[in-house]
Amino acid sequence: MIFLKRVVLLLLFLACCFTNIFASGGKNNYKSTLGDTIEDFSLQNVDGNFISLASYPEAKGFIIVFTCNHCPFAKLYSDRFNSIAKKYGALNVPLLAINPMDTIVYEDESFVGMQEKAKLAAFTFPYLQDNLQSVAKDFNADHTPHAFVIWKESNQWIIKYTGAIDDNGAEGEKVKNHYLTNAVDDLLASNKVHEPETRSIGCAVFYRK
Amino acid sequence: MKKLFAILCLFFAFFSLKLQAQTYNTLWIPDTLSGTTFNLAMKDTFAQILPGNQTITGGINGKLWGPTLFINKGDTVHMNVQNNLNDSTTLHWHGMHLPAVMDGGPHQVIPPGTLWQPYWKVTNDAATYWYHPHLHETTQEQITKGLGGLIIVRDNIESALPLPRTYSVDDIPLVLTDRDISTTNQFTVVPYGDSMMVNGTLRPQYTIPAQVVRLRILNGAIERSYNLGFSDNRTFYVITSDGGLLNAPVALTRYLLHAGERIEILVNCTGQSGTNVFLKAYNSTLTQQIPGGDAFPNGPFQNYLQRSDFNILRLNIGNQTSNSITTIPTTLTTVNTIPATNANVTRFVTISDTNIVGIPGAAFLLNHKLFDINYNNYNVPLNNTEIWQITNSGNFGHPFHIHDVEFNIISASGAAPAAAQAGWKDVVFVPANSTVKFIAKFEDYADSLHPFMFHCHIALHEDEGMMGQFIVTGNNTTGISEITNEESRFSLYPNPANEKLFVKLKEEFEGIYYLRLTNAIGRTILMLPRPQIENGIDISTLKPGVYFVQITDEKTLKTTTQKFIKQ
Repeated sequence: MIFLKRVVLLLLFLACCFTNIFASGGKNNYKSTLGDTIEDFSLQNVDGNFISLASYPEAKGFIIVFTCNHCPFAKLYSDRFNSIAKKYGALNVPLLAINPMDTIVYEDESFVGMQEKAKLAAFTFPYLQDNLQSVAKDFNADHTPHAFVIWKESNQWIIKYTGAIDDNGAEGEKVKNHYLTNAVDDLLASNKVHEPETRSIGCAVFYRK
Repeated sequence: MKKLFAILCLFFAFFSLKLQAQTYNTLWIPDTLSGTTFNLAMKDTFAQILPGNQTITGGINGKLWGPTLFINKGDTVHMNVQNNLNDSTTLHWHGMHLPAVMDGGPHQVIPPGTLWQPYWKVTNDAATYWYHPHLHETTQEQITKGLGGLIIVRDNIESALPLPRTYSVDDIPLVLTDRDISTTNQFTVVPYGDSMMVNGTLRPQYTIPAQVVRLRILNGAIERSYNLGFSDNRTFYVITSDGGLLNAPVALTRYLLHAGERIEILVNCTGQSGTNVFLKAYNSTLTQQIPGGDAFPNGPFQNYLQRSDFNILRLNIGNQTSNSITTIPTTLTTVNTIPATNANVTRFVTISDTNIVGIPGAAFLLNHKLFDINYNNYNVPLNNTEIWQITNSGNFGHPFHIHDVEFNIISASGAAPAAAQAGWKDVVFVPANSTVKFIAKFEDYADSLHPFMFHCHIALHEDEGMMGQFIVTGNNTTGISEITNEESRFSLYPNPANEKLFVKLKEEFEGIYYLRLTNAIGRTILMLPRPQIENGIDISTLKPGVYFVQITDEKTLKTTTQKFIKQ
C-alpha cells in the first residue's frame, strides 16, 4: 500500500512537474496505448524481405518486441526471445522484433549491425528495422526492450498487453512474473489479460522530431 | 496443526524482515585511475541494487558512478570522454579551474557516439572535486542514473602533511545520495529519495582501521542537505572546504553539507578496535527552509527521510595498520584569502521564488529570470577580482555554485564565515532571506564564445532554469563564431588518409579553437577543443568513407570545413 502510494505520488509528480523537461529532451512521454488499434505495417527484415502482419494469415495475435543492438538490458533477452518465439509461433502467435532506434544518431543500430546481431544471437524470428520510427510511434514504445501483445478482434489488431517481458533481466532463472507470456496464455485461453500493463525498462527510445 | 504452522510462518516472516532490516552491505569503493590521460566511457547499463530485477543505471567505465581520478597539481591532464549513452550529455569538472571550452557545461554537448577530448593544466590545490553531467534540463535525470565520479587532486603541500592517504584503507571516498527506488527496482527522477545510498550502496558498512581515518565526503544528492555527525557525538576534524585545505583542522560534532559541496574530515579511531559507530544525518533539526528539512505530509516532495535523523554508514573499527596516523595535525596550510579591497567590482545576484505562467509550482529564479542559453548575464574582464553578493529574497535556501573559480566567503548573513568554510569554496549555501558575499579572481582563461555557468546545485532547480552564465573577456573577444563560405583556412593531408590525418593551417592563423570531425551523414565523431595535433589526428578506427573536418579559427572565430576520404 505504501509502495502504491509512492507510485501514485510519483506519477502525479512526473505529470505535474517534469512534462516540460521530458518533452524538451525529445523523449517519448509515457502514454499507454492499451486497447488501441494497430494498423498493419511493412518493415524490412534482416534477410532483406519485407514483412507485415498480413504475411501471417493464420496468426491469432502477435508478440511485438521493440529491441535494439546496443542496449545492455535488451541484450539480456536474446535467448528468451528465441524460446518465446518457438513456443508461441507454434501456437500461431508469432514474435516480431522491431528495432526503432535512430540510425543517424546510433551507428550501432544500422541495418548491417542488425544483420550481425541477428546472426550472432541466432534469432529464430524476424528482426525488422523501423527506420522511420513510425511503427514504434504507433505503439508508443518507450524503451528497448518494450513488449506488446496484439490480438485479432473483428479483423482488427488490438493492443492487449504493453510493458516488460518479465521481472528479471539479468537472472532469467529468478523470474517470478512472466508478464508477456502470461498475457499471451490468457488470450490463448480466451481469458481477460490479468495484468495487461506493466512499465517497460531499459534504454529510452528517442524519437526524431 | 494448521494454526501452529501459520504461527511459525508468521514468526519466520517477522524474523526474516527483522534480519533484512539489520543487514548491511559492504560499501562499494570506486576504482581509481591515475596519470595524465584518462579514458572515461559513459554508457547506459544496469546494476543489481536490490534482489529481483536490475536497476537501469548510467555508468562511467562501470555499472554505476565512475572511477576516482587522481591528478597532480601542475600536470596537464587529457580526458578521453566517450559518450556511449543513449542520449546527449556533457561532463563537467566540478571545481576545476580550466578554459570554458573544456569545462563541460551545457554548451559542450557530446552527442551519442562521440569522443570529446578536453585537456587542461591542473592549477587547483589538493582537495576532493568531482565530475558529473551538466546538460541543461537533463542534469537531474543523468545524475539520478548514477553518472559522475570523484577527482582527487594532490599537491606538494598536502603530500608533505602527516595525513591518511591510502585510498580505501584510511582514506575513504563517500558519495552521499538518496534515491527513490520504484516497485520494479528502478531509480525514479525525483528531488528526494526514500533510500540513503553511499557510493551507490544501500545500508552500507565499512571496516576502518583503529587510527586517524580521512573521509572524503561529497554531497552528490539531487537536493538534500546532510547534517553530518556521529552516533556517539564524537568530535571530527574538518580539513578541507570544497577547493583546498583549511589553515588548521576545525573540530566539530556537526557539519551541514549541501548539494555539490565536499569536505574532508579526520576521525580519530585510535584504540577503538572492535567497536562501531554510525555516520548519520541529523536532519531532524533542519527547518522548512533547508533542503531535506522541508517536510510535507504529501505531494511530490514528501519522502521518508525528510526532517529526520537517519544512518548514512556503519563504520566497524578493525585493526590498526602499520605506519598509521594516530594524531590530528595542528596546522595544515596558509590560506591566502583575497582581501575584499582587491575587488574591481561587486556583482549583485538575486534569488527569488515566484510563479511563472507555464512553469508549474514555484520556480526559483536568478536575477528574476529563467536560464536562457543564449543570454549572457555578465562580461567579466580577465584578471578581474570580483565580489559576488547573492541575496536570497525567497523562502528556501539554495546551494549556489560558480564555475571557473574557487572563492573565499566574505560574509554569510552579515557574519564572517565559519572556520570550516574559511578556505576555498565553489558552492555556498545561501539561506532563505539572507545575503552571502564571496570574492574570487577570474584568471587565465578568457573566451568570448564559451561562457562559464553559475547556478543552484540542486539539480532540479538548475534544470528548471535557476542558472546564469558569464563570459570572461580578454584577448579573444572578436565576436561570434560563424560558419563562413570563405575559402577554407586550412588543408588536410594526406587525402585520402588511412592512419593519421594532418592539418595544415594558413599562416595568418594563430591556432585552432575547435575541431569537429563529422561523417557524411553529419554524425559527430570527434570534438577537440583547442586540439594539440602536431602529430596528426588518429583516424585508424574510422570506417572507410567521406568525412568532414570543421575548424574554428582561434583568432577570427570563423569556421570553415574541408572534406577527406578515409581509405
